[in-house]
Amino acid sequence: MSAVTATISEDKMGTARARPAMRDEGARLGFRLTLPAQLLVLFISAFPLLMQLYISVTDWSPLSGVGWWSAWEMWNSFANYTDLAADTRFWSALQRTAVVMLVCVPAEFLLGLALATLFADDFPGKRIFYSILLMPMMVVPAVAGYMFFMLFQSGGPVNDILSTITGTRVTIAWLSDPTLALIAVMVADIWQWTPLMFLILLAGLVGVPEDQIKAATLLGANPWQRFVTIVLPKMKTIIIIALAIRVIENFKIFDTLYIMTGGGPGVATETISVYIYKVTTQDLIWGYVAAIALAILIVLSIVAVYAMKRMAKTREMPA
Amino acid sequence: MKRSVPFEIFRYAAIFAALAVTLVPILWMVSMAFKPIGEWSATGADLTWWPKHPTLANFQFVFGHSANDLIVALDHTALKPILSSLLSAVFGTAIAMSAGTAAAYGLSRFGSGQNLPLALIQLRLFPPMAVMIPVMIMWAFLNLNDTWWGLALIYGIVTLPFAFWLMKTFFDDMPREIEEAALVEGCSRLRVFTRITLPMMRGPLASAALFVFILNWSDYLIALLLTTREWVTIPVYMASLSSSMTGQLYGAKAALGLIAAVPPVIMGIAIQRHLVRGLTFGALKQ
Repeated sequence: MSAVTATISEDKMGTARARPAMRDEGARLGFRLTLPAQLLVLFISAFPLLMQLYISVTDWSPLSGVGWWSAWEMWNSFANYTDLAADTRFWSALQRTAVVMLVCVPAEFLLGLALATLFADDFPGKRIFYSILLMPMMVVPAVAGYMFFMLFQSGGPVNDILSTITGTRVTIAWLSDPTLALIAVMVADIWQWTPLMFLILLAGLVGVPEDQIKAATLLGANPWQRFVTIVLPKMKTIIIIALAIRVIENFKIFDTLYIMTGGGPGVATETISVYIYKVTTQDLIWGYVAAIALAILIVLSIVAVYAMKRMAKTREMPA
Repeated sequence: MKRSVPFEIFRYAAIFAALAVTLVPILWMVSMAFKPIGEWSATGADLTWWPKHPTLANFQFVFGHSANDLIVALDHTALKPILSSLLSAVFGTAIAMSAGTAAAYGLSRFGSGQNLPLALIQLRLFPPMAVMIPVMIMWAFLNLNDTWWGLALIYGIVTLPFAFWLMKTFFDDMPREIEEAALVEGCSRLRVFTRITLPMMRGPLASAALFVFILNWSDYLIALLLTTREWVTIPVYMASLSSSMTGQLYGAKAALGLIAAVPPVIMGIAIQRHLVRGLTFGALKQ
């Protein structure tokens, strides 16, 4: 099928000079070049999705003694899905994921934007500061989780700094208090991913045409007005991309969080990924996990299609 | 644009504050990696930001089963996890880069595989946790569980979107005159791709490969689910280092964390120019 599309699009491009034999050669080569990637995508999407769908309507678990293909023997007539609707732990994990996202992503965005505006023009030391500020996002997330695990120990450096500031000895047990543990986890996420916002937003900021800003200055606009009326509208697409990336990645939050708290104390920091992980590895009810996973995939797909349609619509409008 | 003096003072103050926040967690781990066991969990007045008696015992411990002042001994050294991380990340990168580069060229030049851009973004959109049940079953069926090659295969697929998108934007940007000239000279299209385009793209290829390597090297969740004992990677091994008997082996973990953190940070700085492009799927170029 790919070969057919290739020929058509080459015709569209109007490579009239190329002899038909050469065009065929291109289409064939294009097909062969894209084949490995197509197969990998198929291998990881089509078959696993069908398997997931199949298992999700059964009580199958790796301990049930039969292979997954015989899972139909444990058909439970969509009980997994009705269970899911009533699963308070699932809904609270989802809610917690949303809270983490609503705190972290805006915080990362605002901090990143503030930093980016400071870096918009040249000043001594810019390059070295820039390199250092980008470091957190390159640290392995699991290692970052361990860093913050150490920092937030009750006798650790965070309390030490607080003690120095307040003058009294602070011994808060950050990671064993439900609220504070959630805050600690969010601090770690903000620490690690603000640099990403900074990086992307700075790239966008540098791309704003200088002459328009100068013109606005001549017309008497103050820096804030220039920022709101010229810079922000010009950066709209970039801001949307940056936010979308962080929303998608933040929804998956697992590594740092799981190393810091393991989802605890209790379920206080259990986000959706941690919840699924625990059901997968501890409760081992894979039929149920498949149902949860599939439900999430479907909801995310709907959101994604909607978002892409919106994006396509805004792109059609003249910039 | 000239800025006022108060603004410059404010700017440096704000940047130094940001630098401090950025560096404190990193420096604390670096410092911890060189602290002897007595200083690991020192609190209050004993808490020091720099080791009083710097030691290499922590590194000795993770590489050589035991160290002088540590009573516990490891039954696994860090060598095999490091090897596992390296092999799986390197071969995962090779899979993603070869499939991704070829497909990107196919789409960029011949318009093949129009479905790939969207399909690959979707692949990235879904939380790995939500597709891991079938993957775990398939990997068990194919005897890929707890092997570095099994990890490499899934890494290659997971990072394929980045390899593909990065290389696609690089190919789209590349001027086609040279390729066309070679075609006129009578080169086959495949020969043009392998002998002319690829050598010309050495720089972008290297950047994309480093970018993909960092992503693979950074994984924790997938290795946690697909490896159990023989081929655990560094982060999985690190998390398993503490037990009820030993307590938290702060220094040893910090030493290991340092080893895991150094390569991607250096590589990240090396490819700084292309980071924006990589992270935004080529939507933005710097």
